[in-house]
Amino acid sequence: AVLDLALLGCLGADEAYFRGGVIRCRDGSGKFTRDKLNDDFCDCPDGTDEPGTSACPEGKFYCQNAGHSPITIFSSRVNDGICDCCDGSDEYDSNVTCKNTCWEAGKAAREKLKKKVATYKSGAIIRNQEVQKAKVAFAKDEAELTKLKGEEKILQGLVDKLKEQKRLIEKAEEEERIRKEQEEKRMKEAAEKQATEEKKTSDASQEVDSQETHANVQEDESKVDAHHDGHATGHENQTPESESSVEQHDPERQDDISTKAGPGDESPAKETSAAPTKEQESTPADAEGLSREELGRLVASRWTGEKVDEVSKDDKNEHESEHDMPEPSEETHEDESDVPEPAEDSYSGYHSEVEDDRHKYDDEDFSHESEDEYADDHDEHVGSYKSDDDQKGDDHSDLTASGQASWLDKIQQTVQNVLQAFNFFKTPVNLSEASRVRKEYDDASSKLSKIQSRISTLTDKLKHDFGKEKEFYYFYDQCFESKEGKYVYKVCPFKKASQVEGHSTTSLGRWDKFEESYRVMQFSNGDRCWNGPDRSLKVRLRCGLSNELNGVEEPSRCEYVAVLSTPALCVEEKLKELEQKLEGMSLNQRGHDEL
Amino acid sequence: WKKDEFRNCNQTPFCKRARTRAPHSLDAPLSLDAASLAVSPDGSLTAALSHPSRPRPLLLRLSALPPHALRLQIDEDYSSNTPPHRRFHVPDVLLPDVEARTLHLSEPKTAGGVSTFALSSDVDVVVKHDPFELTVRRAGSGDPVLSFNSHGLFDFEPLQESKPEGETWEEHFRSHTDTRPRGPQSITFDVSFYGADFVYGLPEHGSTSLALRPSRGPGVEESEPYRLFNLDVFEYLHESPFGLYGSIPFMIAHGDGASSGFFWLNAAEMQIDVLAPGWDGSTSTENGQIDTLWMAEAGVVDAFFFVGSEPKDVIKQYISVTGTPSMPQQFAVAYHQCRWNYRDEEDVAGVDSGFDEHDIPYDVLWLDIEHTDGKRYFTWDRSAFPNPEEMQRKIADKGRKMVTIVDPHIKRDSSFHLHEEATAKGYYVKDATGKDFDGWCWPGASSYPDMLNPEIREWWADKFSYENYKGSTPTLYIWNDMNEPSVFNGPEVTMPRDAIHYGDVEHRELHNAYGYYFHMATADGLLKRGEGKDRPFVLSRAFFAGSQRYGAVWTGDNSADWDHLKSSIPMVLTLGLTGMTFSGADIGGFFGNPEPDLLVRWYQVGAFYPFFRGHAHHDTRRREPWLFGERRTALMREAIHMRYSLLPYYYTLFREASVTGVPVLRPLWLEFPDDKETYNNGEAFMVGPGLLAQGIYEDGQKSVSVYLPGKELWYNLRNGSPYKGSVLHKLEVSEDSIPSFQRAGTIVPRKDRFRRSSTQMLNDPYTLVIALNSSSAAEGELYVDDGKSYDYQQGAFIHRRFVFADNKLTSMNIAPKNLGNKKFSTECVIERIIILGLSSGSKTAIVEPGNQEVEIELGPISLRSGLSSVAPTVRKPNVRVVDDWTIRIA
Repeated sequence: AVLDLALLGCLGADEAYFRGGVIRCRDGSGKFTRDKLNDDFCDCPDGTDEPGTSACPEGKFYCQNAGHSPITIFSSRVNDGICDCCDGSDEYDSNVTCKNTCWEAGKAAREKLKKKVATYKSGAIIRNQEVQKAKVAFAKDEAELTKLKGEEKILQGLVDKLKEQKRLIEKAEEEERIRKEQEEKRMKEAAEKQATEEKKTSDASQEVDSQETHANVQEDESKVDAHHDGHATGHENQTPESESSVEQHDPERQDDISTKAGPGDESPAKETSAAPTKEQESTPADAEGLSREELGRLVASRWTGEKVDEVSKDDKNEHESEHDMPEPSEETHEDESDVPEPAEDSYSGYHSEVEDDRHKYDDEDFSHESEDEYADDHDEHVGSYKSDDDQKGDDHSDLTASGQASWLDKIQQTVQNVLQAFNFFKTPVNLSEASRVRKEYDDASSKLSKIQSRISTLTDKLKHDFGKEKEFYYFYDQCFESKEGKYVYKVCPFKKASQVEGHSTTSLGRWDKFEESYRVMQFSNGDRCWNGPDRSLKVRLRCGLSNELNGVEEPSRCEYVAVLSTPALCVEEKLKELEQKLEGMSLNQRGHDEL
Repeated sequence: WKKDEFRNCNQTPFCKRARTRAPHSLDAPLSLDAASLAVSPDGSLTAALSHPSRPRPLLLRLSALPPHALRLQIDEDYSSNTPPHRRFHVPDVLLPDVEARTLHLSEPKTAGGVSTFALSSDVDVVVKHDPFELTVRRAGSGDPVLSFNSHGLFDFEPLQESKPEGETWEEHFRSHTDTRPRGPQSITFDVSFYGADFVYGLPEHGSTSLALRPSRGPGVEESEPYRLFNLDVFEYLHESPFGLYGSIPFMIAHGDGASSGFFWLNAAEMQIDVLAPGWDGSTSTENGQIDTLWMAEAGVVDAFFFVGSEPKDVIKQYISVTGTPSMPQQFAVAYHQCRWNYRDEEDVAGVDSGFDEHDIPYDVLWLDIEHTDGKRYFTWDRSAFPNPEEMQRKIADKGRKMVTIVDPHIKRDSSFHLHEEATAKGYYVKDATGKDFDGWCWPGASSYPDMLNPEIREWWADKFSYENYKGSTPTLYIWNDMNEPSVFNGPEVTMPRDAIHYGDVEHRELHNAYGYYFHMATADGLLKRGEGKDRPFVLSRAFFAGSQRYGAVWTGDNSADWDHLKSSIPMVLTLGLTGMTFSGADIGGFFGNPEPDLLVRWYQVGAFYPFFRGHAHHDTRRREPWLFGERRTALMREAIHMRYSLLPYYYTLFREASVTGVPVLRPLWLEFPDDKETYNNGEAFMVGPGLLAQGIYEDGQKSVSVYLPGKELWYNLRNGSPYKGSVLHKLEVSEDSIPSFQRAGTIVPRKDRFRRSSTQMLNDPYTLVIALNSSSAAEGELYVDDGKSYDYQQGAFIHRRFVFADNKLTSMNIAPKNLGNKKFSTECVIERIIILGLSSGSKTAIVEPGNQEVEIELGPISLRSGLSSVAPTVRKPNVRVVDDWTIRIA
């Protein structure tokens, strides 16, 4: 091929632009004569006149790369002694000779692209199936919600009626009671002095009650203390294992421990409790109490923000609870066990609301009539599992079961009967009828609250953005895991993300939103880092045949990133784009073959 | 900042004692024994200083160093009545030929208890005998320049044989005990500067003021002297007289028409008061006299009086005894990217390609302590860096370098060969009981090689060979941190003063120089590694007088706030005045997350620092320049590009510094010594003689007042607009750049093609920017060499002076002949000459030789798009920079 110096580095399609005798700078800033095209002097600040040299700082150089894909590079790369274009065209006047590697590179790139296209193809099929199913399931959820709302309305009506009935009964009962009381009063009037003495006795008994309550509280506190001692021992031994072994001694209490000991749970409390400790530290008296080694660790921890007994900065991801303690020392640690244990409070703050819902359902006495529909669906997803709160899907199944109409009818019928049967004007109140009303009221309002809670669960779920085609619908009930070193990372889309080490869990964030047109899942406002931001996680999604989480990293302190492969990202348009690119590369290749 | 952890003057007995003493109130003032005064065979003047109540006389020595420096030495007399110990003389700081350069003094004239002798033809020295007092004065007028002990505060605590009954020499601070087995030995004296409006120098302190504010006397509220004691201060204050990482006991005084300097070579803790007028109760407000009080815990008097009289002369005089700054490699003058920490090889590759993707040049990628295997320096964490050579090679393929950190604390780990070797050889500093000192630093229990010992420095230097430092390659350079030394569990986070060094020297005596010796040993190591052909690059945090010979320093762990940005300029300027021109502050601030606007401003200011590096603490968010949106990326790219385009100018200035010591970044008064308006301007600065920049130090600042000194015009660097000199201009602040100007009468060489790194700019053509003065003249220089070797010492460089006069630009060779037989050549040409202030409507220029006609057209002052064409530009003269030529404007 003949090298046309004047047209060097310009895109083939642009050649026409440079045909005239006087050429305009593309940004309109001026014009130049054709002899100044590629004359190695910048006349247009935007680089129009120097497509083939490094003269303009804003210029771009086009390399054809026959056999591979053409690319455009910054003009600063032209003749800089580094081969950037695989055809070597960017180094036409420098002290290096670039081999044309487009053939091999192109071949490799095409192979890679072919594989990618294949993945996209299969992925797109899976995706389409999922989307279809998701749409059905979503519609079903919506239908259920509509239905539940209808039922709620009816049931609310019944409950209101029963409540009114109950109120009337109670009113009647109250009137009766007052009447009786007044009678008794009159009878007792004679013995009034005696009554005063009785009052004294009752005071004494109240005192006994309050003492009992106090004892209970103390017992709770000592439990907490015991746990803390175990924790401190772990630190003294300086091995995380010893800490977990302490916990394992008492498997029955594991749940209790893991929630209480979880650094995520404790961190807010530590921060508040550690603040005054920090003050103390700066006083000479405090530092003087330290051994020389402790002092060294303490001072080092200022720079590292780490727990004193882990002064070395090796551990990039050490136990997070240690980050959360500003400049702690063994002493401050001891102090903390005196601080009222706030774990219970933070517990509710930490766990998602979904889990709280679960507890409500756990108390239910529903008969488990049917249907494991959701569970069946979930089994299809590879590398993931149902999120914790799935169990409740079973619990509320009776609400969505096919037989549901009958229970509503039944309840309506029963209430009707009760209401009709009851006679307000009969005095005294018929006790058995009153208790039936009460029972029916309790039953109905319990059903109502179940329905309401199911409605709220469904509403919570459906308010989420599941993607343009609901392709992320099934993410709602799934979590994805990845093990990196000693940590297990858990990502539950639309809910939360966490880092688990043994029994301690650190929140990396609560669900925030999709970003970059559904290519990134953002989790924000995780547990706070000492001297750093609240933890957060960005999960980058890419096309893959199954849902797989990997590559969790922490490029910036407490700002995590991860990659999730999923068929949901294998979109048709992208597939077409890749196919076109592959085709283009193949054409380019054939062009090369012809040469 | 933990104030309580550091001693103030009142908690420091020698300081408290000296500082509370009234002038002329000493119990045993020293007097000169006139009979002993004599010119010794080496040409110096010697005499005995004594007082009847003292156990022994002291020995005084006065010597003269050309040009215009007087050296005063006072020590115990070891020849008779031998004192129990030898006081410490700081070795290897003064240039080895200082003694040889000493002049032969003439016999002093003595009359009426006063002896006088000539220092030079126009300066003489007056010595008053009782009490001893010394004045350096101008011979003709008799005007004093500097004086010693004119307030009678000179005290020299003699070494004592044994502890007096009932006295304790121990000192306590917090939980630490200093055994002080040798007792009190401090030295105090007053020095006065005459004809001075301000004093400067004494790094390192956080300050937004360029001049040293008075530390004591009327009107001074917080009374604490300037402390020189190398310390690792966590979250240091941007405004405080307390000591930081380095110490240079050198002060410059400047006033209308006179400059002078004083340097005390002493590595012990020093405290210096700058006394406000009236501090001694005197009511006479003698104009232009500044009194100072100097206190040191130990050592001897080895002091230099520099007479000036121009401020640059004072710097040159100081440099003539402590040495010129080393000439850096070209890459080291470019942009450095650092973070604690780039985690692994993938991270390194990602950051490297991030710069390429955003077309932002950088030259050096840095690895902090996490790259090592458990903070064992010279090792790699092989899980994160399995192939360090391969990693460095990939970076080097783009012409870039890497830097790893090597600190002085060595992990006490029996499986660590370095520790085993140092232990076996007895190379560690010893504690007061004679055992290897065991302190706490990053690796945990650590010991510190005794860098005072030349043999140990030699041993340390060998550790940098490719053989010893596995995984190192020729493009790997070194960073010395924590070399104050930082000892986490030591008193004031450093080594106990009673630790023992080579030659039975106590740590208190050499503390401020420990980091200096460590820096020296490391730089020597790189020099050895490169067989003397590769200029070392070693960045150090601690420093002392003379550190300029070994590499660069930075201002340590600053914070991401506007005040720290503001204090960085006075701090860097002060370092430059005291020899350490190759310095800078961490861009963005080490601690904390800078607001994006602060980060952008910091890049715009930092792009002018001689040492230009972005760095961040590991708890901070990532802040590579492309992470804050397109607009801010463009602004930071522009700031970095500006620096790269000025690299030829900077390199030429580094050459000047390496010859004369005159710093790259200069206070305005160094260039305009007569302009009083400039004397305490710490917000603006000069880059060489030609450029002036004013930092923006406030968030959202809308306008800024910029004082442009001198009588000539100044041209805005971005758009070429002219501004009058000697005027305080109120300017609108733009987000594009900080206000920066070229001084009329100067020529600045640039390279306007932006490459990945400075390495690829080697063959790129030059742009000359000529700013004509009121006589339509200008001049400037260009220095070029191979950018890495020492061949320039044998003449392998190009040094041109460009002179524009009578409508003609001439390039002439100013390289001295006969330096050696090595040559440097380049095919580089000048592609563009921008002439600011050219009035004629000339269309052509004639290049000689060749009588070739080239076009002149209106062109932009900068090639960035969107800027209008404003200045006559000679298009493609394409003359080679190596040649003599003239270009005549037709």
